Amino acid sequence: MSDTPILTITGLRAKVADEDIDILTGLDLTLQPGEIHAIMGPNGSGKSTLAKVLAGHPDYEVTAGEIVFQGTSIHDLEPDERARAGVFLAFQYPAEVPGVSIANFLRAALQARLEKDEEVDLFDFQDLLLERMELLDMDPSFAERPVNDGFSGGEKKRNEILQMAVLRPALALMDETDSGLDIDALQIVAHGVNTLRAENPEMTILLITHYQRLLNYIKPDVVHVMVNGRIVRSGGPEVALELEEQGYADWKTQEVVPA
Amino acid sequence: MSDPSHAIAAPIDDEETAIPLDEDAVGRISEGAPAWLSERRRHAWSMFENTAFPTTRSEEWRYTDVSRVVNLADLRLVTRASLPQNGHRPPMLAAAMDEDHAAAGHTVLIDGTVTHVDLDPALAEQGVILTSLRSAVHEHGDLLEELLATEGLPPEEGKFEALNAALWTDGVLLYVPRDVKLELPVRATRWLSHAGSAVCTRTLVVAEPGSQVSYVEEVLSEDFERRTLVSSATEVIARDGAQVQCVSIQRLGRDAFYQSAQRTLAHRGSTLDTLNVNLGASVSRLDLNAQLLGPGAHSDMLGLYFGDDHQHFDHNTSQDHIAPDTGSDLLFKGALDDHSRAAFRGIIRVHPEAQRTDAYQTNRNLLLSDEARADSLPNLEIEADDVKCSHGASVGQLDSETLFYLLSRGMSRQQAERLVVLGFLRDVMTRLPLGGVVEKVTRAIERKLQHV
Amino acid sequence: MPENELVEGFGLDEYQYGFVDEEAHVFRTRPGLDEDIVRQISKHKDEPEWMLEFRLKALKIYESKPMPNWGGNLSDLEATLDEIYFYVKPQDQMERSWDDVPDNIKNTFEKLGIPEAEQKLLAGVGAQYESEMVYHSLKEEWSSKGVIFDSIEDGLKNHPELFREHFATVVPTADNKFAALNSAVWSGGSFVYIPKGVELETPLQAYFRVNQERMGQFERTLIILDEGAHAHYIEGCTAPVYSTDSFHSGVIEIILKQDSRFRYTTIQNWSNNMYNLVTQRAVVEQNATMEWLDGNLGSKLTMKYPSCYLVGEGAHGEIMSIAYASDGQHQDTGGKVVHVAPNTTSSIISKSISKGSGRSSYRGLCKVYEGATNARSNVECDALLINETSRTDTYPYIEIEEKSASVGHEATVSKVGDAQLFYLMSRGLSQEEAMALIVRGFIEPIAKELPLEYAVELNRLIELEMEGSVG
Repeated sequence: MSDTPILTITGLRAKVADEDIDILTGLDLTLQPGEIHAIMGPNGSGKSTLAKVLAGHPDYEVTAGEIVFQGTSIHDLEPDERARAGVFLAFQYPAEVPGVSIANFLRAALQARLEKDEEVDLFDFQDLLLERMELLDMDPSFAERPVNDGFSGGEKKRNEILQMAVLRPALALMDETDSGLDIDALQIVAHGVNTLRAENPEMTILLITHYQRLLNYIKPDVVHVMVNGRIVRSGGPEVALELEEQGYADWKTQEVVPA
Repeated sequence: MSDPSHAIAAPIDDEETAIPLDEDAVGRISEGAPAWLSERRRHAWSMFENTAFPTTRSEEWRYTDVSRVVNLADLRLVTRASLPQNGHRPPMLAAAMDEDHAAAGHTVLIDGTVTHVDLDPALAEQGVILTSLRSAVHEHGDLLEELLATEGLPPEEGKFEALNAALWTDGVLLYVPRDVKLELPVRATRWLSHAGSAVCTRTLVVAEPGSQVSYVEEVLSEDFERRTLVSSATEVIARDGAQVQCVSIQRLGRDAFYQSAQRTLAHRGSTLDTLNVNLGASVSRLDLNAQLLGPGAHSDMLGLYFGDDHQHFDHNTSQDHIAPDTGSDLLFKGALDDHSRAAFRGIIRVHPEAQRTDAYQTNRNLLLSDEARADSLPNLEIEADDVKCSHGASVGQLDSETLFYLLSRGMSRQQAERLVVLGFLRDVMTRLPLGGVVEKVTRAIERKLQHV
Repeated sequence: MPENELVEGFGLDEYQYGFVDEEAHVFRTRPGLDEDIVRQISKHKDEPEWMLEFRLKALKIYESKPMPNWGGNLSDLEATLDEIYFYVKPQDQMERSWDDVPDNIKNTFEKLGIPEAEQKLLAGVGAQYESEMVYHSLKEEWSSKGVIFDSIEDGLKNHPELFREHFATVVPTADNKFAALNSAVWSGGSFVYIPKGVELETPLQAYFRVNQERMGQFERTLIILDEGAHAHYIEGCTAPVYSTDSFHSGVIEIILKQDSRFRYTTIQNWSNNMYNLVTQRAVVEQNATMEWLDGNLGSKLTMKYPSCYLVGEGAHGEIMSIAYASDGQHQDTGGKVVHVAPNTTSSIISKSISKGSGRSSYRGLCKVYEGATNARSNVECDALLINETSRTDTYPYIEIEEKSASVGHEATVSKVGDAQLFYLMSRGLSQEEAMALIVRGFIEPIAKELPLEYAVELNRLIELEMEGSVG
């Protein structure tokens, strides 16, 4: 593995754009290429905010600190520029785009990654899409459905994984991918992620989750505990199991002590 | 609390009190009034004279040819209450009033004159005012001068609004001071007895910040022998954070033309809901305007109607979203039997500043006979971009599957139809959980269904 | 003169059809309108006496009717009408061979891709330049089966009985002020007859071009489908961009006999100095099906409500419309369905987009007369708002006199959602690309009904329009 981290976050503070209080309160995090990190934390700890800030969501404002992706600060990059640079956010609640099929949507996303005078070859794209769907055991007809329109919770999450498979990001941020899924759907999604990882071991993954159960299926290298907007503990997979047994209560009380 | 039945006025001689609708009438009605009021009435009369009589060529009156509904020259203004000599209440009035005991206060208006007012003394102590407009002119002159027919329904609004502002004989003032919350509704009963009369009354409800009140009025009469105009103007103001509900149930007899204009002004964080139930009168016209003036204001506007014979209902509604972050939700549902006819013309206007408006408007009609007719015109005019607006309208008949299901359980067709109609209309009532009102409205509809 | 100079001067370079050709005409009336001008038009067309009478009567009706006080802002139109040329004759005769069309006109249409289109999948092509059809052709395969596809003038000359039997029966002169105006000064347009049982497999296409500044174009089209006939007609319209206003007011009459089926597709992309006030109506007889597919993208103000009068039992009418109102544009469009006969069905689907200071209004009527038992109608209107300054209105008139009718209307208004935008951008699309994709998805249910080249054109246009729509 390379020595240059794929993502380095230092002293990151961020807030909702028109509010005063920072939700991220000085967060440090380093991911090496190919690693899988999990961030766990209670509701309101700022996990989802971190995902959105990394993807460049306009509702949030970085007030201090730095995010360096593949050696460059992405502070000034728009969400689409970050995506084209290789950051992918699998949304907790993906938006619906009526009338736009998944296939057309993905073609447009690939087109956006090409130079102005280049064009996605329709046949190559069809082949790619079919191949990706086969890899994920998905029915080809799925690609003809309008993006997330009328999808069940499980279908929305599978759509996110399919996009990840087609767009092949360097860094995948998975925001509460397990929420609202039954165990079957969870296994299908985890299987998809593991398949993509096996295919591309360089892909780095940051899993954001409230529960330990996702980590039974996607094995993290490092587990971080996040409370009140910062990482309060990092360690191996055993940390997740500790949390499962003890809950977050201890960590919350610890936060009272000034850092 | 005193029994409102003791409050019926003695009879008076018709000839003495019935006067034509003209400028002299304005003068006579202004006798003894403060200067501001006389001036306001004169101005209203000149507005009335300078406003053309509505025709079906104007969009607002497209579905009602009012020149064929009423000839104002035939009508006489009644300035005092009259009832049979012995003071006995007609059975219909008695029944309606006797339902009304659970209330914070009552008012009774007979032929446009308030004959009775009572209010829970504990509320009076807290500064709640429930009184006739005639007394309020003297006792609360400043309040009326500021709010009566000014920001609510000024005479500039239209021909009938001007007529009412010039010739109102009496009405109700309900004032609720800051943070006072009324548990029980205030009730009003309006009884009309004079065929060929024009009776104009007004209602002014002012709910100060943080207060809570509901007002339930019932307008009723026996059948008339001649065309009779019952005009009302209702102005409701909910100041910041106030919660107000206004219910109006109209059960006038045949040959009445019920003309009702209502405007609600909802300020910041207030909730101002209305329910209009139209069951009676030969022709009824409702102009209902809700203004959402402050962020967080919300208005539910509910309507119910059920027509038979040759009844004609015309509902003209508007939802004006003027401030950002406001909501309104309108639902008007009606069933139409025989040759009855209903028109609904509604508009949601989202003004340019009113971002994040949530506004809905739905009109549903059930046609029960081949000769019934429903016209529906739900409009949207939207000048802000961050809004959630939708409207819908539908016209349909009784679902034959449902009907069959009920018949197969042994009900007669008539029973089954009644049940389905009640079910169709009840969905509106469940939206207004107000003590006693649902029962009252259900009874009123059931009574009417008996005649079908 | 370089063809794009004028256009660029106005900063409207995204309007691809804004080029101007040098003025070329063999005759034009003086500006404005009076009885003498109507007589001149009639004389130039060498018409029968009854048509002149018809025109003169229509002129009186036009003059007697007030300007509509609803719809769009017509306050400047009166002055415009005094200034425009009501009749401009571009050449002496209509050609049936493309090679014979004068070069300057030919060039115009070649720039617009018309001859190419003809070689592709069309049964016939007509082209109108200013006031006259300059070209009309129909494939031999169809003319041999008795299909008539001709200029309206030739229809009157060559098929006088068929013409007179149907002309002005669907849209009577007194229907509205602009129908009366068209009846007085009509010129150009198509005459189409599809004989009993003939099914055209490929569309007929008519192309309308206004080149002259301050021009009034008043085409009149009469289409008759005999029993069991099937056809599809497409019209397209463009004009150069001038600083003065032009005026287009067509009347389209369509008669569908029993069991026939017809689709009329319009892609209106007039430059945004054009008043476009059009009356389009179809009378639909027993078990026949009429479909209007109406795309309004251009013009300054369009007022157009394609109509279906369902007069025969089992008749079906469908109106699908897309309106796109950009800066300074008002699209006041919609549709009318009138149910007269039992078991008739109809549907209206309208999608509008308002951008910048654009305003789109849906105005529609669904009327069910007593006796139209079991009539079914459904209306859906969706509006999409792009900017804070955009405006949308919905005015659906629903008038039901029949108990067994079932009628529904639903409308929604939405803006491009921030969550939607962010989602697309997080996949690498720029904000403009994301916006265009959302808009395309929004109109997709109707756009997919368009012939492919129009669908592609529509998408291209939306992408151009979205540039600079954000920020």
